[in-house]
Amino acid sequence: MEKLYINKEEWQGFVKGKLNGKIIYAPFEENNSLFYKIVNEENIEKIVYNRVRTVEPFKIFLFPFKERVLPEIEKLNEIIIMGVTSCDLNGIEILDKVFMKGEFKDPNYKKRRENLFIISFDCENPYDSCFCSLVGVNPYPEKNFDLNLSQIENGFIVEVGSEKGKEFIGNDTRFYNVNEGQLKQLEDKRKKVIEKLKEINREFDFKNLDNLKGLVEKEYWQKVKDIDNCVSCGSCNFSCPTCVCFLLEDTSNNGDFRKIKVWDSCQFPGYARMASGATPRPTLYERYANRILCKYWYMYENFKIIGCTGCGRCISGCIGDIDKRKVITEVLREKVNV
Amino acid sequence: MFKMERNIYQPVKCEVIDNIKESPNINTIVLKPEKEFSFLAGQFASLTVPGIGEAPFTPSSSPFDKEKLEFTVMKVGRVTEKIHQLKKGDIVGVRGPYGKPYPLSEFKGKEILLVGGGVGLAPIRALFLALVETYKDYKKIIFCCGARTPQDYIYKDKIFGEWQNLCEKIPLSFRITVDKKDENWKYMEGVVTLTLDGLDIDVKNAVSVVCGPPIMMKFTTLKLLEIGFSESSIYLSMERKMYCGVGHCRHCLIGDLFVCKDGPVFKYSEIKDKPNIWV
Repeated sequence: MEKLYINKEEWQGFVKGKLNGKIIYAPFEENNSLFYKIVNEENIEKIVYNRVRTVEPFKIFLFPFKERVLPEIEKLNEIIIMGVTSCDLNGIEILDKVFMKGEFKDPNYKKRRENLFIISFDCENPYDSCFCSLVGVNPYPEKNFDLNLSQIENGFIVEVGSEKGKEFIGNDTRFYNVNEGQLKQLEDKRKKVIEKLKEINREFDFKNLDNLKGLVEKEYWQKVKDIDNCVSCGSCNFSCPTCVCFLLEDTSNNGDFRKIKVWDSCQFPGYARMASGATPRPTLYERYANRILCKYWYMYENFKIIGCTGCGRCISGCIGDIDKRKVITEVLREKVNV
Repeated sequence: MFKMERNIYQPVKCEVIDNIKESPNINTIVLKPEKEFSFLAGQFASLTVPGIGEAPFTPSSSPFDKEKLEFTVMKVGRVTEKIHQLKKGDIVGVRGPYGKPYPLSEFKGKEILLVGGGVGLAPIRALFLALVETYKDYKKIIFCCGARTPQDYIYKDKIFGEWQNLCEKIPLSFRITVDKKDENWKYMEGVVTLTLDGLDIDVKNAVSVVCGPPIMMKFTTLKLLEIGFSESSIYLSMERKMYCGVGHCRHCLIGDLFVCKDGPVFKYSEIKDKPNIWV
């Protein structure tokens, strides 16, 4: 795909020009972390480029915490999201397959998807909880973006990922053709990030993820002491780029049919509980195992891709300090030793 | 041309035309859909009580009946309690049908064993009525029914009357039991697996269909295997917590299988290795 170069100040001017009438979100720093905020003339210089993923998963723009699905939302604004990282872009694959590509289409999803313009960023400073390299995802975007920004000396390499992206740039003369030296710089930078990720994850073994298939007995999971620290808060689900579980609630008050869709978490004890009181997963271990098995086994069977992109939010957000990588490494080791 | 897609959550409006008490905690609600609502035996639908909530049920009326739609519902929670309170003229919503039906074409030329317990007789009723309509396609039908006590039986006037009368006209027989009988009971006493003892059935050319509480399905399946039914000739109607009904919300997964999309009817062979199937 076409690659261009733009100087950083010129880029800011370019974004400023797009502010007119468009809603643009971008990552901003708060307490050492990144959060999406709406860009305006005042904060435009504080946008954080090419550092790492945001705290919120990108899915909030496609699958909000709570939304009306019946009747469907009629008007959705076009929005531009800057700073989406590769882990989140890979998550879109699952969301698309669930809400847009199957026999039944979600009432709002497709419209939201079409109204999004995605300007993704390379990730240069992965957290200790990041592990995209363990699940076959690179720390730089390769698909699902309209434009991708990779920071090099004094500016950015802008990769055009779609027709929409091409139109967005148009004939703007601030963009130049990229040269060999710039491409080399980018390649070296990307290699270093991959090396860093390998270093971060050297203790963990994800080679035999296939062996998770069939590990449904809670006995396998009870052996992993860390799981005892789970408090069923659901943070791993809510921060995950591929967790799609939701519940439906009736909100009609005059006899018509109205429904809202709200995120749900398989870690909540009541998640799968039926009216009779019976639940297929009565213990903490079964519920914890369910999330792992859903990501690496069930979603693979359902969509032919695993439901984990290595963003590490389920690790950094866990108030029980459970490191999923350690759990998986231990469970798989345990299985081999049985 | 741009075609507006129907909202997947939009129910068909239905008027309540009757609400029949079947047993102390089970009612059959009779609905007249605003427009035709077709389904095949075994498929389910989501029933909405506006402002209260929605729950999935398998219709219990005949799939051939295009005039009305019936659901037999046990009172166990918030939504089902409201369903029991519905009166003639009330409006509810039904969306669906969802899921895979009983594969009647695969049943052709076979002996069919139906085993239903308690409110599990509801989906089996829809199947039974469909089988009766096409009885010439099957060698014979054996219907085993169970309930806790005589008064817990649903469809009393059918099971102890109308349906038994059919036995004279078509190759059909009944085996009826209760866990605990009373002084007027004329049939068997004991759990429903008892009705499977000494069955006159050619297991090599038969299929069995089981629906009931999880514990009943478990022991019935084990018994059927013992009698010689193959794992792929036992059809189970599975139940899970469910919201969307269309494979999005993931609440109903049994391992990687969606009860709403891949089921609710499964062959035992399909689910036997999945986690916690007998809930």
